[in-house]
Order: sequence, then structure tokens, then C-alpha cells
Amino acid sequence: MRNAARLQRLTDLREQIAAIEKRPLLADGVALLGKGDDEQSDWQALLKAPAGLLQEIYADDLRDSTASFGFALGLARQLITEARPAVLFLQLTHEAQETGLPYALGLRHFGFDPERLIMGRMANPAELCWAIEEAIACRAVAGVVAEVLGTPKVLDFTASRRLSLRAASGGASVFMLRYGLEREATAARLRWRIAPTPSRPPPFDDQAPGDPRWQVTLEKGRLGKRTAETDVSMIWGWSENEFELEQHRPEPTRRAFYGAPVFGTSSSALGYGLSKAG
Amino acid sequence: MRLVALDQKATRTGLFVEQSLSDARALCPGLQVREIDRAYLEAVFADFADWHSYVSPIVSVHEDAAPFGDLIIDIAGVSHLFGDENQMLQAVSDRLRHLGFTVNGAIAGSVGAAWALSHFSPGRVVLENIEMELADLPVAALRISEEQVTGLMHMGLKRIGQLYDRDRKALQARFGASLILRLDQALGHVEERIRPRLPIAERYTERRLADPIGMIDDVLMIAHDLAIRLGLQLEAEGLGARSFHLFLYRVDHKVMTLSVKASRATRDVGHISRLFANRAERLTGEYDAGFGIDMIRLAASEVNDLTPTQIGAFGTWDGTQDLDQLYDRMASRFGLLSVTRSKPVNSYIPEQAIQLEPVIARTTDDPFARPGFRHLRPLKLLPNPEPIRVMAMVPDGPPITMTWRQVTYRFIKASGPERIGEEWGRSDFVLSKRIPRPVNLPKADEEDSDYLVIRNAISSRDYYIAEDDSGRRFWLFRDGLYEQTKNPGWYLHGFFS
Repeated sequence: MRNAARLQRLTDLREQIAAIEKRPLLADGVALLGKGDDEQSDWQALLKAPAGLLQEIYADDLRDSTASFGFALGLARQLITEARPAVLFLQLTHEAQETGLPYALGLRHFGFDPERLIMGRMANPAELCWAIEEAIACRAVAGVVAEVLGTPKVLDFTASRRLSLRAASGGASVFMLRYGLEREATAARLRWRIAPTPSRPPPFDDQAPGDPRWQVTLEKGRLGKRTAETDVSMIWGWSENEFELEQHRPEPTRRAFYGAPVFGTSSSALGYGLSKAG
Repeated sequence: MRLVALDQKATRTGLFVEQSLSDARALCPGLQVREIDRAYLEAVFADFADWHSYVSPIVSVHEDAAPFGDLIIDIAGVSHLFGDENQMLQAVSDRLRHLGFTVNGAIAGSVGAAWALSHFSPGRVVLENIEMELADLPVAALRISEEQVTGLMHMGLKRIGQLYDRDRKALQARFGASLILRLDQALGHVEERIRPRLPIAERYTERRLADPIGMIDDVLMIAHDLAIRLGLQLEAEGLGARSFHLFLYRVDHKVMTLSVKASRATRDVGHISRLFANRAERLTGEYDAGFGIDMIRLAASEVNDLTPTQIGAFGTWDGTQDLDQLYDRMASRFGLLSVTRSKPVNSYIPEQAIQLEPVIARTTDDPFARPGFRHLRPLKLLPNPEPIRVMAMVPDGPPITMTWRQVTYRFIKASGPERIGEEWGRSDFVLSKRIPRPVNLPKADEEDSDYLVIRNAISSRDYYIAEDDSGRRFWLFRDGLYEQTKNPGWYLHGFFS
């Protein structure tokens, strides 16, 4: 009798756990992605991605840091509302010289009100994590753009899972700017790879550079029916303060090495390093 | 070298201050001498002075006679806590004597009189009849210079009392205005201000502990309790404060101060104690409780009116309060300067056009500070421009290749130059100076004058926007013009994408 009751209780508990595990934790995020019917609106919907997501934005190299920063700002800009007026940019103090500081006059040209961007500089990655968590817990923050160079130990899968859950419950998005060809295991809902692309010349001057364009690859995450495997890459342009899909590019010029959850030297990364050195 | 201070044993052997060291050595062969470290003593005495704020909030080091050694405490309104003035003097000096210090103290109605009494007739309390009490003291008690004392001695004026009936004008003509001033200050005719060492806080709460504590967690717990009391006190008066200071009084005469700032007036207990917790986390390394802390005081300054507002159903919430609290927390943990906003400055020089300003110490923007809006500016700027190697087709033309951080980039598009020069129109701009040419400096052929022009501002820069074959866009500049310098340097300053 007692044994049977215990068994019953055990099965109940198991069912409860199963229910918790099955229930999509970030239900709102999934529902809003890719509502449109055609390809164009699918992508547009993604760029209007809902708030409360952890997104990783990878660039191949530090010298492409401004491309990923610009893309992150473009995404964060769409999250700004009256109740959530601020975007935070966080980086480590000693890394400012590596990738540069956001420049208010340039932000204005980019269509981003510099008054809304607050810059924070921390001494180490642990403090950076603390600052991100603290910021997304605030209900007046629209997004946090955090720049991380290398692969610090404190930013492991557990930390990204934690940030992801915090972001979902707090309602602010986190954009992690990361560099390199290696991909770590992450709980981020979306992972992008950004590379700069030659701009179209402005109408008045063939020799001058025009508005910035980026090659954007969705490496991880769902986009309606489309997933990262089917749609590889495309080119996004920045015009009139809005993102615009300019060209769909099925084949990337240089495919990033991703999918390896463990950090280590891979042949493709090595080859890239050699080509850069030589 | 001369003797500055002696212990009791040395005094008994007949040595005296101002004696030359060689004489002293001859008189007393086994003499142990140390060179005086004035800076260290000054710092220690300052700590010692701060610690005395347990007696009264207004404590100052009297630096006119010596940079250390004279401690002034304003005891207005405090003496009754010790009983009366006599008991207070007794209690304060006894505490120090127990610790092994040699103390001379006095209480009087003016700083000058107290100084005179404590140096020449210590241990007394003189609240009235100052003139009579000071009359018998030597003139040196007036805090006047060595020459003034000798001069007065020559005239036979040895006691302060002899000065009272003298003609003031004659005294001033002979010994300078400072003598008259010192005399008036001592007698209380002229008020003398003292500079408090610690910020004066009208509102504070404190707790004295029977047993000293050392753990920072305990300190923070007490700080929380104090914050509750201070919060209630502020709430009753309808006030809020923008800075809070936590004074930790150590048993061994030191005071540690933790200060936090808030971007808007607050009396929110949770917020205040969180700020202190963050601040404490930042100081774990330098936190040293010594032998323990026996008193903690929480003080509020920059007090403003803070009227209660309704929250909830009919309140309007715009999020700025939450943001301000977030910035407070971040600044308290990482430091004031690590959370910044961009403040536009009226300047054309790119790195000076934007100033990073702490968010929680926000100042109003300059209404004229919007220059360069029509010119394209990069999204990111390097804090320090990095030197690069650049090749250009013609000297003044746009760059074709660049080597930056050991990688070479080939540019396919470029625009520019945009010339940014000295800001001669600004009022704080210092005009170029022409100085006579030094003889050893060779004269170049094209320069005809015998003068050298020194420019104080930056030299002209030519900025180019250049895009390489994979779409990276850089903002680079040439420092100087080809006419002025033989080989102007190139620098990378920013990135567009």
C-alpha cells in the first residue's frame, strides 16, 4: 500500500519535471519570430526581434569590431521605447584601445541618439557579467551591448544560460559582441556572424564610400520555417536609418568554423591564421 | 642638523630642542637619532585628527605654526555630553595619555587663546576674562614669527599684557599687521575660521559598539541599520540626500571613510545600503579594520527637498528613476568614472568634441556644442590615434595602402580630405608665439625670418575616409601639412564599419 503510494508520487513528480522541461521557457521569443509569409518579411521580422533575447554577434577579427557594433546598435535601436529609453555599452577598460570607444557624433549620423547610449567600463570579465545582469534587471533598459574579447572563463555555457534566462524574465535584450572563428557552446537564442562588405558608391561620387553594408549570417536560431542551415548569408544595408535587405547570398565567401562546443585549434581556424600571417 | 623632538629620557640628560646634532652627540655619546619624516607625521596626524571627530564633528589641524601637532576641535554644543568643559578636557586628554601620548590641552573662547594656553599654560579652561588670563603669558604665545618675538623682546615687551595699552598703529608700523591680527584673534575681537577636515553633515546617525568589530559584513549590517534610522530622519523632514558617507572609527585612531553618490536625492534604505555594499566590494583589498572598529557613523550631505510621490495606480512612471538607481549601483561598484555619457563640447577637434562625463554627476550641455554635424564622423573612435604607415599616389592625395597592427590594407575607395586645424576662434586658444631663433638651430632655406613660431594647439590634420577591398572603412589623418613638415605622420583615428 505504502509502496504503491510512493510509486504514484514518483511518477507524478516525473511528469511535473517533464512538463517543465517541455514547456518553452522563452515562449514569447519563439512565437514572434518569423510571422511573415515571404522571405523578405521573414528576415525583416527577425531584425525586429522581440526583446528579452540573448544574442551573440560574431566578427572574424577585432578589426571588424565596428561592423558588429553597428549591427548590434541597429538591433538595439528598435527595442527602444518610451518606457525603456536606454541602451548600455559595456566593455573592459583596457580593451577600449583595441576596438575603440563609441563616438557620439558618429552615432548621430548612424541614426542613434547618443543621449540614449551609456558607456560602462569594467576591470575584468566577472565584473562585466555582474554589470550585464544588473542592467537587464532594470526595467528601463532596452538593451545591453557587451563586448568580450577572447574567451574568458567566467563566460561559459552556464553564464550564458543564466544571462539568457535573466534577459527573458527582465525583458531587455543582450547583444554579446565576440570575435574569432571559434564558437563556444552557448545558450544564446540567436547567433550572428557579421562581416563588412564593400559599400555602393553614393550617387555623386564613384570614388567615395557610401552607406555601410554588412554580410549577415544567421548561424544559430530559428527564423520561422527557416533555420540557420538553409539560409546562409545575405547582405544588409543601412539606409535612411533603417536596415534593408539588399541581396540574398546563398554562398558565403569564407565560411566560419562553427559547431565546435569545445575551444581548441581547428584546421580551418589554423589555415585562416596562417593566411593572415603570410 | 638640529634636534626637533626629544623623549623624556633625553630631556633629563640636558639636551634641548634646536640644539645642533654634533653638540648633542658630544654631550650624550649613546644618543639614538632618527631623521624626521615630516610627510609621514603629517599624514598620521591627519588621521589622528579625523579620529577625534568622535568628540565633535568639526575637527581641524592647525597648520599655521607647524604642519602637524596642533589639533583644534570646535566644541560648541558638545561639552554638555561630557558633563562640562573641565570634564571634557579631562576625558579627552586622559584617553590619549592612556594610549601613551604626551598631551597638552586647553579650552578657551577663541582659537588663539586656546593655542596660547595649551602651549604655555596647559590643562585650563578659560571661558571669560580672556584678557586677564593671557596677560601673563609670553608674547610667543601669540603665534607670531621668530623675528617678531625677538623684536618685541628688544623693546622690553615680554608679556602679552604689556601689549594691551600700546599704540596699535605704532605696533603695526614696527612689527607688521600680523601681530595686531594675532592679538585680536587671541582676545576674540576678530573671528578666526577653522577649516574642518571632514565634510560637515548636519544629518547623521551613529552607533557606538561595546566590542570592536572587524568583519566588513558586520559593518555593512550596521550601515543598513543606520540607513533605516537616517532614512526615517530624512523622511520626517521631507528631505533626501545625494551623497552618503560612512565613517568607521578604528580603535587605533584612524577613520576610514566610504562615500557613495546618488544621481538624485534619495532616502531609500535599500538603495543606500546596496550602494555601500557595492562600494565595499570594491575596497576588499584595502579594507583594514586594524584592531577593530568601535564606532560607525552614517552621514548625509548634499541634502535637498524630496517630497513624497505617489506610486502605483495613478503615478506616472518614466523609467528615469530606475535608470538613475542602476547607474548609482554601477558607479558605486566600479567607480564614478566608469559609467559615462557623451557630453558634446563646442570644439571641432574630434577627440575634444565629445567629453565622457560620469552619468551621475551630469552637467548641463553647452547649447553651442553641435559642430561637425554636417561632416561624416566614425561610429567608433580610438582613444589614442595609432600610428600607421600609409602610401599615397600624390603627396596630398587620398591614401592607397595602409599598414596597421602589422596588417596591410589596400584601399579602393576614399574621400577627403577634411582639414581640421587650430581653433583660433576660441577664447581659450593661445595664439602662436614668435620667439627668437636659437643660434644652434639651423635655418632652413625657405625660412627667411630670425624667429621661430611655436604653436600651442594641434597642427592641421587632413582626415580621409578610406574603404578597403573587403568593406572596412577607416578614418585616418595626416598630422601636419607637407609644406610645414618634411615627412608628416599618419594616424588611424576611427572606424565607420
